[in-house]
Amino acid sequence: MNRREAEKKLKTIFGFDHFYDEQWNTIDLLFQGKKVLLIEKTGFGKSLCFQFPATQFDGLTIIFSPLIALMRDQVKGLNEKGINAKYINSEQTPAENSQTIQDAIDGKLKILYIAPERQENQEWIKATRMMNLSMIVIDEAHTISVWGHDFRPAFRRIINLVKLLPQDLPVLATTATATKRVQEDIEKQISDDIQTIRGELIRDNFELYVIKVNYEDDKLLWLAENLSAIEGNGIIYTGTRANTEIYSRWLEFIGAKTTEYNAGLDANSRKEIENGLMNNEWKAVISTNALGMGIDKSDIRFIVHTQIPASPIHYYQEIGRAGRDGKPSKLILFYNSSKDENGIEEDYKLPKSFIDGGRPSLKNYIKVIEALKQEQLGERQIIKATNLKQTQVKVIRADLIEQGIVREVIYGRSKKYEYQFNAPELNSTSFDELRNLKLKELDSMLEYINISSSRMKFLCDYLGDDSHTEYKNCDNTTLDKLKINPKNETKEKLLEFRESYLPELSVESKYSKLVDGIASSYYGVSSVKNALYRSKHEDGGDFPDFLLRLTLKAFRKKYGQEQFDLIIYVPPTESGDLVKNFAEKLSQVLKIPISHNLIKTGVSKPQRVLKNGYLKKDNVAKKFTYSQPKEILGKSVVLFDDIFDSGATIIEIGSALSKFKVAKISPLVIARTVGGDI
Amino acid sequence: MMNEELAYWLALAHVPNIKIKTKNEIIVRLFERNKTIIDFFQLDTSIWEKDFELNKTELELFIDAKKELPNYAFMVEDLLEQGYNILPITSSDYSPTLKKNLGRTYAPPVIYTKGNLQIMKEKSIAILGSQKVNNNSLQFADNVVKNASANHKIVVSGVANRIDKQVLDSVLKYKEQSIIVLPQGIATFQTGFKKHYKQIISGDVLVISTFYPKSTWSAQLAMQSNAIIYGLASEIYVADSNEEDGTWSKVMDNLRKGKTIYVRESNPKEKNANNILISKGGKAVDIFGKLNNTAGKEDDESQKTLFD
Ligand SMILES: Nc1ncnc2c1ncn2[C@@H]1O[C@H](COP(=O)(O)OP(=O)(O)OP(=O)(O)O)[C@@H](O)[C@H]1O
Ligand SMILES: [Mg+2]
Repeated sequence: MNRREAEKKLKTIFGFDHFYDEQWNTIDLLFQGKKVLLIEKTGFGKSLCFQFPATQFDGLTIIFSPLIALMRDQVKGLNEKGINAKYINSEQTPAENSQTIQDAIDGKLKILYIAPERQENQEWIKATRMMNLSMIVIDEAHTISVWGHDFRPAFRRIINLVKLLPQDLPVLATTATATKRVQEDIEKQISDDIQTIRGELIRDNFELYVIKVNYEDDKLLWLAENLSAIEGNGIIYTGTRANTEIYSRWLEFIGAKTTEYNAGLDANSRKEIENGLMNNEWKAVISTNALGMGIDKSDIRFIVHTQIPASPIHYYQEIGRAGRDGKPSKLILFYNSSKDENGIEEDYKLPKSFIDGGRPSLKNYIKVIEALKQEQLGERQIIKATNLKQTQVKVIRADLIEQGIVREVIYGRSKKYEYQFNAPELNSTSFDELRNLKLKELDSMLEYINISSSRMKFLCDYLGDDSHTEYKNCDNTTLDKLKINPKNETKEKLLEFRESYLPELSVESKYSKLVDGIASSYYGVSSVKNALYRSKHEDGGDFPDFLLRLTLKAFRKKYGQEQFDLIIYVPPTESGDLVKNFAEKLSQVLKIPISHNLIKTGVSKPQRVLKNGYLKKDNVAKKFTYSQPKEILGKSVVLFDDIFDSGATIIEIGSALSKFKVAKISPLVIARTVGGDI
Repeated sequence: MMNEELAYWLALAHVPNIKIKTKNEIIVRLFERNKTIIDFFQLDTSIWEKDFELNKTELELFIDAKKELPNYAFMVEDLLEQGYNILPITSSDYSPTLKKNLGRTYAPPVIYTKGNLQIMKEKSIAILGSQKVNNNSLQFADNVVKNASANHKIVVSGVANRIDKQVLDSVLKYKEQSIIVLPQGIATFQTGFKKHYKQIISGDVLVISTFYPKSTWSAQLAMQSNAIIYGLASEIYVADSNEEDGTWSKVMDNLRKGKTIYVRESNPKEKNANNILISKGGKAVDIFGKLNNTAGKEDDESQKTLFD
């Protein structure tokens, strides 16, 4: 097929008149059964380079994509054009996924999107033996390189697969963000005879700003005063999940329509928010970087970062969502440059802590290896055998597999990890190399903050695009700097917000009489954390009175005039009478009688020492009972504890007491952690 | 050999209804022409016909096989990921004993393994028996494994019958190395892998299958895997055999080919046909696996080769 013929078909199927030159070059190579790496800027139109040929091939095109939101988007678009496309991912029910697999086997599909992790699924692997395959695509291909940002270990298998494919099967890898090093790594990994097409990365409708602040509050204040004046809708990225909640509540407090999004939300809520984003339902979605990559919304007018991303590549990728219609769009990056007592800048700490916490210690790797030398274990069994956090076990497991020390073997319906005969020694030098690279990238991000030359040029240079264009449109070139100068009334508003905003405890379930409860503060708030720590671990005596004030306030806000019959409290493991004494004070002030009859039936360890949810749950399972069941029969009780982490204890007590026909259990705690930050 | 050939190897090995010999001859021809298996699949069908002498039906089958290459790629990726080895007959890791014993006609073009490949390079023995073995036979198996262990020979075993169980127990007891030959595909041996886990990771066991990886056990595969056991063993011991069982015909077959086979001399009360095998050319050994003095004059010499 020549370009003219192809463009005729393009018009009827996709409604576009022409291919961009680089699109056609790519497509032409794929028609010849070649392997291609396509590096083009965000919003360029890379998807068409596989979607169009897919419609022309006999069989099925499989697209490995790390982004669920994007799959949904693109499949919807394709279906509207009458192209048979579906996706397989964790958002669908197993039955839906099975149906999709069957459709693929039956030759009913042209395009199938699938997450790389699915390559570990036996149903899928079995099905791949029966499909008529025409092309393989790796979207967001930088995720296959450890040197790329957001490396996804699951892609290792896709790479292995690509190497095993017959030589004349077309393969396309696409990305917007590959440095020269990542490019070479992808080329090397995919095939010797891969051809790379690289375009210019400049996005000239971007207006780039950096705002340096001296206080965390300045970020909140600036947004409160300026968000409504920014045209259109956008995204505000925060560094942590907790901050998505806090920023969103604050902006709603001052009257801006926002919502929060993070990977902790369930699939339905995520879907709703993504749809809402598409339909401009909110002024801004406040999100961690879980939202965004690959989303094709034409008119995102602004993207604000309240924390710096891990590198200029991350930044380019994340702001890439904005202004895909080519119209001016604002990209604002906050940086808190105040220094702590060690001279370290405030906003350097969070990304640095991600790097430091990115890899478990070698000791923990050895623990896993030793456990696996004894017997083959599933992930859960490893977690239990080693007392490591699930997230850590996942990292360790991926590294051990990568190094050929351990293999994941299918045992019927489950997967076990097996130590390998002749396994190499654990090689930790690659970990150090990677860490050093990440530190360097973070330094480059700081450089971006501090440069006085064109910001877009800096980003393009960093990404290995050395074409010479005129760069303008930033606060170092043609635009005025954005300033912080908050009004007093805004500051007062913020104080008011702080007083009234409290973290929720979501523990409600149809299996118990628990209702959602309330905490007086996040555990991360330093004054609270320090006070709790001092009392619990440094013999600092009873919890101080300011915590009592906070807790009473939380109680009143949440439960108002509700009537309670009893206050009960979680019996201690190691901190003696701290919780009991505090509960007694609560009881006096609130004038609700206290009971000491919630007791332990067995010994449990302090939850704090257990590093994962499974062990925490096991640790408290069946450990509680109520010594005078009649006392709570039909009663409404307040259940008090000091810190709420995984929630396992409260939930366990909830189900134990529900057996005694309690009417309602309302949890109240001093502090709630976020994502186990205890 | 590079991994990128593996999907092609599987496509060749698992073309249905084509004799192993035909497949191996393709491999030999490629070798002689200094061509790879990838080259083969890219050749025009006219060349398949002319240079590789494939007939019309065979051509059709190979055309189908070629279409399945991407599918095989997925399968290979999955197997390698799980730590299985896939060894084409041209691989330097492929068992030289198997190649030599089974030859072009019967040596499987691809074998699947898990464990220490080095074991295939060692001198080996196999012990055969029927399903209804008696204590003498079990004792015999134990003794032979013990001797093999002392003489640095590895043991080839099946997993199916009573004698295999004894052999595998004795292997564990004497910390002996062994090859376990499967009557099924390698990816369906989960309980076995669980059982032999420690032996596998310490390099004492190699598991082999020559079948399509997902095949489950069948009587037919069991028969075929017996042939592989013979093929992998440099020496064969018969614990007991009856005229009607599978062992018998195999042993007779091998005796006719002039292969040395050691047969336990049974006492007259035992209900087996061991002594008939001896009369047909099997070498008599006692319950300790030692050559019996009554068995003939070349005893001394044989004793040396057996236990050196
Ligand atoms: N030839 C074309 N003519 C007109 N519009 C096009 C053409 N090709 C693509 N587009 C449009 O460009 C937009 C962006 O395309 P796409 O989502 O493929 O970007 P991308 O390169 O994958 O970006 P990202 O790296 O951000 O994922 C889409 O809305 C698409 O319809
Ligand atoms: Mg894209």
